[in-house]
Amino acid sequence: MANTATHTASDEVEAPAKRDFLKILTVSAGAVALGATAWPLIDAMNPTVSELAVAKPIVNVGGIAPNTALRIMWLGQPIYIRKLTPQQIADNQFIVPDTLPDPASYTDRVKPGYETFVVVVGLNTGISCELLGNSPSDARGPFDGWSCPCDGSIYDPLGRVRSGPARKNLAIPRFTFLNDTQIQFG
Amino acid sequence: MSDQTKSWLETRLPLASSMQSCIWNMKMAVEKPYLAALGSLITATLIFLTLSGFVLSLFYVAAPGAAFDSIQFISRNVDNGWLVRSFHATGATMLFAATYLVVFRTLLTGGYRAPNELTWILKLVFLGLVLIIGYFGYAMADGAVSYWSLHETTVAGARLTSFPGAISNWVFGGPAGPGTLGRVAVLHSALALLGFGVLALHLAAKRAVAPVPTKTVTLHPYYTSHHFVAFAVFALIFAVLVFFAPHWGENQLNLAAANPLVVPAVLTPPWYLLPVSAFAAASSSPLGSIFLVLAGFAVLFAAPWLDQSKGTKPGLFYKILVAVLALDVFGLCMAQADGPSMLSSILSTIFIGWYFLHFLVLSPLATAMESKK
Repeated sequence: MANTATHTASDEVEAPAKRDFLKILTVSAGAVALGATAWPLIDAMNPTVSELAVAKPIVNVGGIAPNTALRIMWLGQPIYIRKLTPQQIADNQFIVPDTLPDPASYTDRVKPGYETFVVVVGLNTGISCELLGNSPSDARGPFDGWSCPCDGSIYDPLGRVRSGPARKNLAIPRFTFLNDTQIQFG
Repeated sequence: MSDQTKSWLETRLPLASSMQSCIWNMKMAVEKPYLAALGSLITATLIFLTLSGFVLSLFYVAAPGAAFDSIQFISRNVDNGWLVRSFHATGATMLFAATYLVVFRTLLTGGYRAPNELTWILKLVFLGLVLIIGYFGYAMADGAVSYWSLHETTVAGARLTSFPGAISNWVFGGPAGPGTLGRVAVLHSALALLGFGVLALHLAAKRAVAPVPTKTVTLHPYYTSHHFVAFAVFALIFAVLVFFAPHWGENQLNLAAANPLVVPAVLTPPWYLLPVSAFAAASSSPLGSIFLVLAGFAVLFAAPWLDQSKGTKPGLFYKILVAVLALDVFGLCMAQADGPSMLSSILSTIFIGWYFLHFLVLSPLATAMESKK
């Protein structure tokens, strides 16, 4: 192409098409190179695998005895995972939601297929205060759930508020059951 | 974008039309050499270093010990972190290579002479600035060599009195302590942004004194494709270094964590700091070191006024002298990289002596001789 001595008339006619092709090729190669350089910089801003592992912990719930709760910390907050007894289920299953301060049915508070587990954030929804009642020997209040040592709010085993200054049910964190014995948060 | 949006935007912010007139259709002199693209490459590299440095700063912890660990974390745990770290280290190498090349090319072609004194001074200001930024970046690595280099610099600085001592204390906050790396990290990035200002001033000064070309072409497509070729070659060298020699020019001892009780045998900095380090090492007192480094810069700044050429083009003898100067500085770096010994100390003294001889005696003589012909 650079050799002018061999230029012919047909070369001159074809040249624009050739030039367009070379232009498209060069610009696309440049764009690909730019993208390949920018990608590592953008990808590096993602959370690292170790940070994701902390953010989405897997918890073994197979060892929780009925009528007790496991306390774990997740995202800086206490999470209570409670295994219900048949008695507690029977007591709370058929309560009409509208009679409660913050209406919620039994099925709203548990995951389908894993109805014996209640997973809640263990902080009172009035004054933010960690609740008592994970162990049967704790002060659980009249509904055999949780009670707040700070303002006296009472919750049932499903984490629904029954009385006290608090007006909202206990928050339910985002989680999924991986199988019968493992749940993953996040 | 539809035509309607385009005209709406264009009437309020005439970006496209000013791009057309000020950039794409700018009149450029014909047949500029490929090395004339170095200014654009330096700007592009500084932008690249800013971006990669930003990503590194998301994970960097500016505290002694923790800084080294955070860099290990970047290399091992962060997605593509090893690559971003190599990008930044090699980007620094490329920036210094291009900057040193510009300085030597300007000396060789006599590009510092009137009316280019100010562009030459701004080039040197940029060189001084990137040297300071480079030193801070090297200190931030917090490896065995960085740690002790920062320690010795700050301890020596804290012992200085009056103004030099005050500057050292403002910058480092006294002898290296828990807060020193934090200051160094902030200055590293703040001065890097200042570098863009110096580059902009340099461009404006260069355009003000550039001779009006008799034959011109438009920037696009002639110089965009010209720069594209220069950029491709530059990027190829960069890529080879990133993927095959990411630690090229660094002291290998710096890849080990610092031990506050063990001083490494050889405290040599990365290659781009070697000339300054050699000038500083030639004196045993801190004030002497500062004086030598400043004197080394002062003769560069004074080059336009030491020159006796009176407008004639640089001749062969002058060019040979500049080439010898390049070899001289290269030899000085080699002697410094070799570590302290009697031989390297003698060689360094000779090389530094030649450096000053070149600027103060040989270069004025050569240009005076050549202007008489």
